[in-house]
Amino acid sequence: MKVRILRQNSPEDQPHWETFDYNGPEDASVAAVLDYINYNDDIETDEGKKTSRIIWDCSCLQGICGACAIVINGRPALACETFIRDLKEDVLVLRPLRKFPVIRDLMVDRSSIQENLKKSGMFIGEYSGSDEREHDHQYSVSKCLKCGLCLEVCPNYINGKTFFGAAFANDCYVVASRNSAKSDEIRKTYAEHFGSGCSKSLSCMDVCPMKIQTIASIAKMNRMKSRNRKSE
Amino acid sequence: MDKVVIVGSGIAGLSCAIRCAGAGMHVVLVSPFPSERSQSVMAAGGINAVTSDHESGDSVSSHIEDTLKGGCYLAGRMAVSGLCSHAEDIIRYLEGIGTVFSVDEKGRPMRRAFGGQSFKRTYYCGSGTGKIIVSALVMEARRLEAAGLITRMLWQHFHSALIHEGVCRGVLLFDDRTGNLHPIYADAVVMATGGQNALFGKTTGSTQCDGYAAGMLFMQGAQLKNLEFIQYHPTTIETPQKRMLISEAVRGEGGRLFYQEDGKRVYFMEDKYGEKGNLMTRDVISREMESTGRDIFLDVSFLDKATIDNRLGEVRDLCMKYAHLDICRDPIPVAPSVHFFMGGLAVHLNHETNLRNLFAVGECASMYHGANRLGGNSLLAAIYSGNVAADEISGRASDENTHDFTLEIEKKKEALARMFDSQSRFPSLYIRNMLSDTMRKNLGIVREESSLRHGIEELEYYISIADQIRYDSSVNPYDNYSLTGILALARATLECALERKESRGSHYRSDYPETDSTQSFASLVSYDGGKYTVCPDKECFYES
Repeated sequence: MKVRILRQNSPEDQPHWETFDYNGPEDASVAAVLDYINYNDDIETDEGKKTSRIIWDCSCLQGICGACAIVINGRPALACETFIRDLKEDVLVLRPLRKFPVIRDLMVDRSSIQENLKKSGMFIGEYSGSDEREHDHQYSVSKCLKCGLCLEVCPNYINGKTFFGAAFANDCYVVASRNSAKSDEIRKTYAEHFGSGCSKSLSCMDVCPMKIQTIASIAKMNRMKSRNRKSE
Repeated sequence: MDKVVIVGSGIAGLSCAIRCAGAGMHVVLVSPFPSERSQSVMAAGGINAVTSDHESGDSVSSHIEDTLKGGCYLAGRMAVSGLCSHAEDIIRYLEGIGTVFSVDEKGRPMRRAFGGQSFKRTYYCGSGTGKIIVSALVMEARRLEAAGLITRMLWQHFHSALIHEGVCRGVLLFDDRTGNLHPIYADAVVMATGGQNALFGKTTGSTQCDGYAAGMLFMQGAQLKNLEFIQYHPTTIETPQKRMLISEAVRGEGGRLFYQEDGKRVYFMEDKYGEKGNLMTRDVISREMESTGRDIFLDVSFLDKATIDNRLGEVRDLCMKYAHLDICRDPIPVAPSVHFFMGGLAVHLNHETNLRNLFAVGECASMYHGANRLGGNSLLAAIYSGNVAADEISGRASDENTHDFTLEIEKKKEALARMFDSQSRFPSLYIRNMLSDTMRKNLGIVREESSLRHGIEELEYYISIADQIRYDSSVNPYDNYSLTGILALARATLECALERKESRGSHYRSDYPETDSTQSFASLVSYDGGKYTVCPDKECFYES
C-alpha cells in the first residue's frame, strides 16, 4: 500500500508530500502504519530517497485522548481507531489538521481551543444541581476530547478568532446546565461565538470520536434561552 | 511560598495546581500536552470513598484496613489513614465542581463493588471515571487560569531539576516548539508525571508516561521506593495496537472469569475463593490466571443489555472497535498485563522527597498502595496527594537563598546541541524496545534470582552503550535524551526485585514463594555515580 504524507519540517517551512510503501499487517490502524514506517534504520520514500522520521502525536492509542487527530483520506479522524482495512481507497493519504498551525509533520498546535474556552469564562464554578433528565447528555458531553476534529470538518470554523465551533457549544451546555447562576452569561457568549455563526451542517457529529450529539446541546441551549426569556 | 511549578497536568497535577492557586500562590503548570491527553483519562472504573450514606457495616476504618491488607501491610498506616479519611471530602469536592457522576433515581452518586474491598464504596462515572473527572478539573483550573493564578505551559518536556546542596530551586525544560532548554525557577517543584510504562513498552497506559522524570531525579539524588511492586492487571485484551484494559468495573458489575476444560467452563476463581472470587485483589487474580496455564475468559454476556449499556458502555465500545467482540454475546479473552506502578519517588507524608522543596504526587510517587493497589484507590490518591502537597507548599515560607545555575544550564545546552548535530539514523527507540524485552522476560508476574541477575546484566550493557551511540536527531530530542534516565530507573527496579527475597503482593519470587514477616519494610534505592544501593526502610523514614 502507498502512504502519502504531507510533511513540514517546522512551522515556518513549506509543506511537501512524500510517499512511502507499507507492507505491514492488513489489520493495522493508521497509528500502527505510522509506527511501522518509522521503525527502521533508515526511513526511505517509495523512490528510495532517505528522509526523516514522521512526527505525530499519540498518547492512549485507544481513542480516548484525541492526540492523534489528523486528516485521513480527506476525512478528519483519530489515527488510532481508523483501520486501513476499512478504507475504500488503495492509497492512504495523511495530512495534519488544516485549521491549526503545524508544528512538525502531522503535529499541530490546538491550544486555540483551550484559549477560547478560557477567555469566554467556560467553567462551572459551583455546581447548582441539575435536572436528572439532563444527566445522560451531560455525561456524553463531558467526554469531549478537545481533539479538534469537529472544528476541522466544520464549514463555519476558520481559525477560531470569532466562531468557536462545536467543542465550545458543548462546553457551553455543560456549564449552563450545571450552574444555573451562570446560564445568562453563558448563553450570551454562546450566541456571540457559536449561535450566530453555525449553519447547522452538523458535520461535527459525523466525525466526533465520542459520538457527541452536538445538535442536542444546540437544542438545549436554545430551549434554555426561551425559558429564560419567558421568566424575564 | 509564592511560586510553584508543577510538572504534569493529569489529575494529580491539576488537583495540586487548583489547591495551590486557591491558596493564592502563582502556579506554573507545565506538560507536553493538554490535560485531555494525560493517562488520567484512561482510568475507567471509579474512585473509592466511605461517605455518610455508606453501606451498612462499612466505615473509614474498613477502607483503611482493606487498603493496608490489599497492599500486604507495606504502606504506612498514617498515610493510608489520611487518604481514606479525606475520601468523602474529595467526592463532595468533585461533585461541587460539577463532575458528572453516575447517579441513582434521586440524583445521588452510585457505588459499585471493586476487588479486595469489603463493601461497595467505589463511586464512578459510567466506565469513564478518569475522563469525566479530568473534564471537571480542567474547567476548575480554567477558572483559576482566567484569574491569572495558574499559567499553563504546553509543549514542555522535563529535562532535569535545578538542585543545589539538596534543595530544589526549579526545573530545566525542553520546549518542543522552539527546540530550546529553558529554566523555570520556583519556590517549590511538584512532579506529577505518572507511572513508568516505557520500561515495558506499550502497556495499558499512555505512551507518554515513561518514568524518565523519576529516573533523572534518581540520578540527581532523589531516593526511589518499592520499585519491585508492579501491578499486572488481570483483565487486558490483545489488540493489533497494544494490550488494552478491560476495567475492573466489569467484574464489579458481576463479570465471571473462567477457562474451558472438556467442553465445560471452570470458574476457577469462584471454585477457589468462593462467590467473591472474581473480586479478589489484582495480584492474586493475575497469579491464579498465570498458574492455570490456560486461555482465560471474562464473561458478562449474562448481564442484561441495559446494565452493559449504562454502566459498561466504554468497555462494550472498546471491545467492538478493537477486537470485533460483542460483550453482550461473547466472553472476552483476557490475560494479565503491566498496568500500574506502586513504586516511585519516595516521599514523606507531606509528599516532599528527600530533596527539599521537591515534591511528588500521583503515580510517580510511592506512598499509599504498598505491595499492591486496590482498584479505585489510584484516582483517590492522585487527588489526595495533590492536595497534601499543595497544603504543605502554600503553608511554607519561601527560601530566601538563591543559587546561580547558569554554568550548569549552559553545559546541558551544549550536550543537547551535540545530540542535534548527529547525522546518525539509529533510533533510540531500538534501545527502548530492547529494554522492554528485557523487563518483560525478567520481571514478569513470577520472578527468580537467575533471571533478575540476567536482566541486570543486560541493563548494564544498555547503560554502557547508551551514551556512546549517536541517535537519529530527526525525532523529538526528548526521545533521545530521556534514554539515560529510563535505563537507570529500570536497573534500579531490577535491583529492588533482586533484593526482596520473599513474595509479597505483586512481587512473587518462585525461589522465595512465602511472605517473610521480617521483611515487611519498604525498599529504598539510591544512586551515586553509577552505584545502586538498595536498603529496607526499617526506620520508617518516609512515614513521617
